[in-house]
Amino acid sequence: MAEGMRKTAAPLAGRNCDDPKIDYKDTAYLAKFVTNQAQIVSRKRTGFCSQCQRELKQAIKRARHMGLMPFVQ
Amino acid sequence: MGYTYEGMFLLDNQVVRADWNRAKGAIVETLAKHGAKVLTARRWDERKLAYSIKGKNRGTYLLAYFDLGGDGVNEMRRDFDLDENVLRYLMLRVDAVPAGEVEKAAEESAEGFSVPPPPPEEAQSFERLAFGDLADRPIQEPTRHAPEPEEAPADAPAEPAVPETAGVEES
Repeated sequence: MAEGMRKTAAPLAGRNCDDPKIDYKDTAYLAKFVTNQAQIVSRKRTGFCSQCQRELKQAIKRARHMGLMPFVQ
Repeated sequence: MGYTYEGMFLLDNQVVRADWNRAKGAIVETLAKHGAKVLTARRWDERKLAYSIKGKNRGTYLLAYFDLGGDGVNEMRRDFDLDENVLRYLMLRVDAVPAGEVEKAAEESAEGFSVPPPPPEEAQSFERLAFGDLADRPIQEPTRHAPEPEEAPADAPAEPAVPETAGVEES
């Protein structure tokens, strides 16, 4: 690795952008993309494209609204 | 121009325990009142909530799919906002009813199928969790601005006020 390059964290899970939309009801899947304190993890760690990350964000926020996932832990 | 919608409703377990079909019927009725054509409606799950909502720690989710025109959505939302049995709701536009949803809903409405009653609340209300027995105490009116009760008449004879007054007179 060249000097000055940062070592990036490995993506959490591979996801094909053609997969069906991320569902807010699938809390087991969404739980992989939040930290111990229930924060949504960044694109750098999820390895998602921007569209997928936006879907993920929307799904987690919907799950939070319905009491399926915590806002903070 | 109508669309298909997915509606998720979080219902109070007390109402579900009393009569599931009536709780479901109330939601379906509200949807139908505003011109929705209900395609499916079923019990999705009964869960412990991630955080307490209106003092409840558990709730039952109802998942419904319905066709709806653009009119009447705001009135429908207001009805659900006012309904005390609906803790939360979420309505989203979907392309179509997912595969297998109709079968699951039919399974529930089939004869001989009984919805399992929700378990009792592990912990009671949020107030009780936070304040313990203090939650049961009656709320007292604040008395900050109330006049102090005068106790002077009862205490006056016992107090030795004489030396002070005597000192003032001397100077």
